[in-house]
Parts: sequence; C-alpha cells; structure tokens
Amino acid sequence: MICENCKQRPAKVTVTQVHNGEHFERHYCEVCANSLHPFYVEYKHDPLSLHQLLTNWFNHTDQQPMQQIQKKPPLECEVCGWSIQRFLDEGKFGCASCYNSFRGQLPTVFKRLHNGNVTHVGKAPGAFGEKIALKKRIEAIRLQMKDAIETEKFEEAALLRDEARELEDRLVAGGEEKHVD
Amino acid sequence: MSIERFLDNSISSWMAGDGEHSDIVMSTRIRLARNLNGYRFPLAFTEDEAHKIDQSVSATLLDANEDLQMHFSSIQIKDLSELSRQVLVEKHLISPKLANSPMTGSALISDDEAVSIMVNEEDHIRIQCLFPGLEIQEAYKQADAIDRVLEKEVSYAFDEQFGYLTSCPTNTGTGLRASVMMHLPALTITKQMNRIVTIISRLGMVVRGIYGEGSEALGNVYQVSNQTTLGKSEEDIIADLQSITEQIIQKEREARNALLKHSANTLEDRLYRSLGILSYARIMTTEEAAKCLSDVRLGIDMGLIKDVDVTILNECMVFMQPGFLQQYAGTTLNTSERDLFRAKLLRERLQQGEKTKTKGENSYDV
Repeated sequence: MICENCKQRPAKVTVTQVHNGEHFERHYCEVCANSLHPFYVEYKHDPLSLHQLLTNWFNHTDQQPMQQIQKKPPLECEVCGWSIQRFLDEGKFGCASCYNSFRGQLPTVFKRLHNGNVTHVGKAPGAFGEKIALKKRIEAIRLQMKDAIETEKFEEAALLRDEARELEDRLVAGGEEKHVD
Repeated sequence: MSIERFLDNSISSWMAGDGEHSDIVMSTRIRLARNLNGYRFPLAFTEDEAHKIDQSVSATLLDANEDLQMHFSSIQIKDLSELSRQVLVEKHLISPKLANSPMTGSALISDDEAVSIMVNEEDHIRIQCLFPGLEIQEAYKQADAIDRVLEKEVSYAFDEQFGYLTSCPTNTGTGLRASVMMHLPALTITKQMNRIVTIISRLGMVVRGIYGEGSEALGNVYQVSNQTTLGKSEEDIIADLQSITEQIIQKEREARNALLKHSANTLEDRLYRSLGILSYARIMTTEEAAKCLSDVRLGIDMGLIKDVDVTILNECMVFMQPGFLQQYAGTTLNTSERDLFRAKLLRERLQQGEKTKTKGENSYDV
C-alpha cells in the first residue's frame, strides 16, 4: 500500500479519524504522517467557540457583576424573551432590544471583541446622522463658549450661548430640520 | 431574468481578473449587515416576520433600478433545488447559512453578479459587493449606495452607542466586513505565511485560507479581512485593510523575485510539472487541482508560462467545486466520478486557454 497523501512512499502509519460518528482509516508514510499529524492528541471537547469565550470572559474577569446577575432575577429582554445567559450561550442576540436590555453588560463583551472599543464611530442612518451631527456641533460651540469666557469675550460668549440653545431646541424637536449648518 | 443564468455561467464579473493588482488580489468583497426595527433577528423570528421583512426589502430594491443603475433578480431559497443552492454558494453569491435557511431566506442578485443582497440570513439584510482585483473603495461605494437607498424606505435598528445592531456581537457597530482574496504562493512556498498571519491578527484583521481553516490554504488563496467593527469608522477600516493588503502584495512580489533569483530552475520545473498534470491527468481531487492551478497561475504571473489564459485560477477554482461539476454534468456524481469529470474539464479548459491551438470541440463554454 502506498501513502494516501504523497502517493509515492509506502504507507506505514494508520490514522483513525472519527467524523460524525463514522470511523475512517487513513494510511500514510512516516513523512506525511508526521507533517499531517505531528501531535497525538485526542480531542475530548469541541473546538473553542464564540459562546464559550463569552461565557468564560464573564465568569473569569467579571466575577462581581456575574454574581449580582445570578442573585437578582435573571436579566431578560422584554421583546424576544432571551435571557443574558441565552445570549452568552448562543453568542448571538435575539433582537435589537437585547442591546438595550443587556446594555450594562455589553461593554465587557465588546471590549474583548473589538480591540477595547465600546462605542460606535462612523456612519449612521439619515435621521440619526443628523441628530449626531447636531450634538457634535453643540459640543463644539460649548467649547468655543468656554474659551470666549476664559478670555473675557463675553459678547461673543453670549452669541454662542444663543446659538447652542437654538440647536438644542432643534435637537429636542427631533432633529428634523434638514439644514444643520 | 431567470435563475438559470446565474447557475449556468461559471464566470461572475468578480472573476474577470482585470482589477488593480489582479495578479495577486483575486477579488475584493464588502459586506454590510443591517437589521430592521420592530422585528426579531432571524434566530428568533417567526415565518410571518420573515415574510414581511422580505417583502419590504425586495420591494425597495426592485424599485431602485434607476437610483442604483442596476437590476436585481429576486430568488427565494425554497424554490431552488439543493444543487442550485450549492452552485450559488460556490459562486459566493449566497452564503452556506442562507442556503440552509430554506423557509425564510431569499436573495437579490444583480445581473452582473457583482452585488447580492441576502435577506434573512443571520441578519435581516446582508449587502454584499464583489469586485475583481483590489477595489476596496469602489466596492464600499457600491454597498454604501445600496444602503442609502434602503435606509430611506426602511427603518434600521441603530443605537447611538452601539451603532448598527446585528445578531452577532462581532458585527456590531459598522456592520462592515471588508475582505480581499489574495493568491500568495511565493509567501507560502517560502514559509512566511504563519508569521504574517500572526502580525496581521494583532492589527484587528484576520487571515484565513478561503476554503477551510487548515494551516495551508487550498490553492494558496487567502482571505484578509477586518475583525473590528465597533469603534472604528468605515473609512478607517477600509484604509487599514488597503494599507495591509498593499504591504502583503509587496512582500509577495519580493518573495517571487527571491524565488526567481535563487531557485529559478526548481521553480520552473515545479510550475511546468503542474501544467503537465492539469493538461494530462485523468483523476483530479480538489486539493491537487487547486495546487496545480495555483502553480500555473504563478507561472503565468511571473512570465514563465505563456499561452495560458490568466483567468484560469479564478475560474477553475469555482467550476471545479462539487456543485458546479454536477451542474455541468447535468447529473449527480459521486466523489470518484467527480474526480474524473474535474480532470476532464480542466484538460479542456487548458486546451481552450492555449492561444496557439485551435478551438477544440468543447461543449462547456466557460
């Protein structure tokens, strides 16, 4: 018998693989057997998956919050009914409201998954985009106002204050005006 | 437009092989994950919810011909045979996950197959754009245009803190996955891939073999994509992927030159042996075919092999897959029958690609 892999050298090693409960025998030469199966290990567990990682992070790094969750009635999403445990088990959310229901717990998860980031930066759908742009503009005006006060330019500060108020009113009204600038 | 067109043709526009750096970057893919407000995610929703989502998304896109300058065909997964589903997966037009959601899944595919929008996959909407060569910017522009058309008509699930809300926390934020498929034979031969994979993973990016996660990628084709979707803007994600890709291209070119300088004869021998196998072998497994195609493509790119069509790797990697072979054969084939038929198709494809020879009597117009 020749090696199944290189199809050149005689087969000397038999490797038994179990796939979906079926046993397969593979016959390799020593060279190929070594390169294909360098370690003899029997895997007793599934390969590491996202949900295992999530569960482990919660258990190991955030002992406190996890214990609190277990003492309180289990956290559940009021829309889809998924519990935080189900989220951790599946590694997936059941619906958009889960984000709101588990908001306090999520930064721990996101920090690990996204290089330490917990807040979205970037595109937003139309209506949200305008709202976010307004907020940013108000923030910028406030900073200018602070500068103006510190340098005792009170008239300029008053103008800026009025401008910020006007924008805030617009924000409360739902950011519906198209012309943010 | 009938579904047959998508099934019969093995070439999609992304396989054209004429994009930027197309000797190394085979294709660019952009994917945006979006969900609608007021419906549970596909993991938890009912068929009724699925139906409503499908209706509003399909209606919007089928009406958007003029805005987008493209025409979509709507395909219900439940109307497709198992083989047809497999063919669409092999062409990267739908995902294996969608193919396995027969009751609720559907897809909208553009006529040139560059855009496919999957409905009710893991998320309600997955916009996917595939371009040949390195075209991350262009592909994103396309996906963004479709996203903007949709957001006018439907209400997206979005949160000021977390951004676009997705079923899997690995997509939350921009919902953007940008990836490039790269042919990196010289880096593989010179055993530099492991090191590169390690470095890239520290930069919030991932490298995978395209078919399977093994240490050696089938046909030396690797996919590089962003891992981080939260806290990084679309522009930054794209710019970072672009810059990493350009660096890998540079390294691959250096490795090719080094091979040519230090072991030209060994290299040429190996590449021509592969051409010989592809031209004459009667039994061909997927793995062997992928390896030989990679060699021949490298030979073409380095100017060592002439008279063979450069699109050979892109195309053959697709049509030698089990679903496609059976689609061509018009019948189901077991593994050993597939290996025979694959060898036959590859032989014919190579003859067809040799410019000097006259066209043979091949009925597989690929």
